[in-house]
Amino acid sequence: MKQRLNLTVNGKAEELLIDPHKTLLQVIREDLGLTGAKHGCGVGDCGSCTVLLDGQPINSCLVLAMQADGREVTTIEGLARDGELHPVQDAFIDHGAIQCGFCSPGMILTSKALLDENPKPSSQEIRQAISGNLCRCTGYQKIVEAVEDASKRLAEGRK
Amino acid sequence: MLLPRFEYHAPETQGEALEMLARFGEKARILAGGTDLLVNLKTGRDQASEVVSIHRLKNLSGVVKNESGLELGPLTGIARLASNKDLGPASFLGDAAAKLGSPLIRNRATLGGNIVASRPAADTAPPLMALGAKALIESESGQRTVELNGFFKGPGQNVIEPKELLTAFIIPSMPDGSGGGYEKLGARKALEIAIVNAAAFLALDRDGVIKKARIVLGAVGPTPWLFFVEETAPTGDYPQAPHDAIFHGAGLAAVGNACAIDDQRGTADYRCRMVEVLTRRALAQAYLQAMEG
Repeated sequence: MKQRLNLTVNGKAEELLIDPHKTLLQVIREDLGLTGAKHGCGVGDCGSCTVLLDGQPINSCLVLAMQADGREVTTIEGLARDGELHPVQDAFIDHGAIQCGFCSPGMILTSKALLDENPKPSSQEIRQAISGNLCRCTGYQKIVEAVEDASKRLAEGRK
Repeated sequence: MLLPRFEYHAPETQGEALEMLARFGEKARILAGGTDLLVNLKTGRDQASEVVSIHRLKNLSGVVKNESGLELGPLTGIARLASNKDLGPASFLGDAAAKLGSPLIRNRATLGGNIVASRPAADTAPPLMALGAKALIESESGQRTVELNGFFKGPGQNVIEPKELLTAFIIPSMPDGSGGGYEKLGARKALEIAIVNAAAFLALDRDGVIKKARIVLGAVGPTPWLFFVEETAPTGDYPQAPHDAIFHGAGLAAVGNACAIDDQRGTADYRCRMVEVLTRRALAQAYLQAMEG
């Protein structure tokens, strides 16, 4: 039996009627058309489905959409403001931290959440924070450098 | 990967939850963080027609210190436990939580979920057992308290019956001069299930003599295994350093009793060798913390 779901996605209130066995990932992609979050492994091992739930990065493939009732979700589509990319996104582009792009939405969101909590992370802390987001292309080095640079950009107040 | 269809319920109070569990019986599964249950439902390892999410039962989350010890709610998040600096000699439980899964998993996983999933390599089980923890289990017909040593029955199996809900972990008070250590061995540093894990808890008296010691080993048997308990009075061993021969001896003894298997993560032989190393290291950590207290 479908149930009513109310949640805020990228600042916008959404009300949906959904089957309760749908994951947050499915609802984001299929009901809301936000396909930045990816289905990789489906079991919480790869992080390509990462979204922020009340600011915390989580595997959306392992959250029932109904459990997000009354909560705030941020997807990669919600990072840019008025057509301007978020400093983390800019840094990823400038540092070549994106190759195929499949891990990137999740990787960027996890990085953004890290910088929200720890504005000046060491490279070790960055690597620890992204340890739930797998990248098969870059070898992570450029990603770490991008996050370090994003930390500087945010500190300088670049928006 | 798709979830099978089920009905979903999100009770607002514990009473409502217990009533639902009583009504649904074996058809119900309790959903906390979802990082275990949803994986099992997707892979077909488990089935449920009624999923009862307990995320609204805020009273089940939190760490409370009182005169009799420490009480931990089952809904206490693993990430929250990992960053809790106020656990005292139980800080090794926080260390274990910090090694569970990945940061993303930790942001959803719960202490109760890790224990109820009852995997032999569970990260939080050895520390809780080493602390002598008990589980409070409630149902509509009453409640009971079960020692964690004795809670696990086999891989994925425990003493909780259908209609029951685990509502608290009770850790008896830890004396001054006590400390713990947790060691996890894995092929990688994150998203890893332990090849072997070990927790040790030591309480030293004023002269540095061991008055209480517990060693728990995981992933070397069908359940996490309380290998060693020493609760005798002051005439115990007197370690002089974190790498004292006493701890080395304990490690070797642990090997003799471990019942490891060959599986995709390691051979029984390797596991047994690592039991000695991890036991020794966990005791060294426990000793250092106990000496500070």
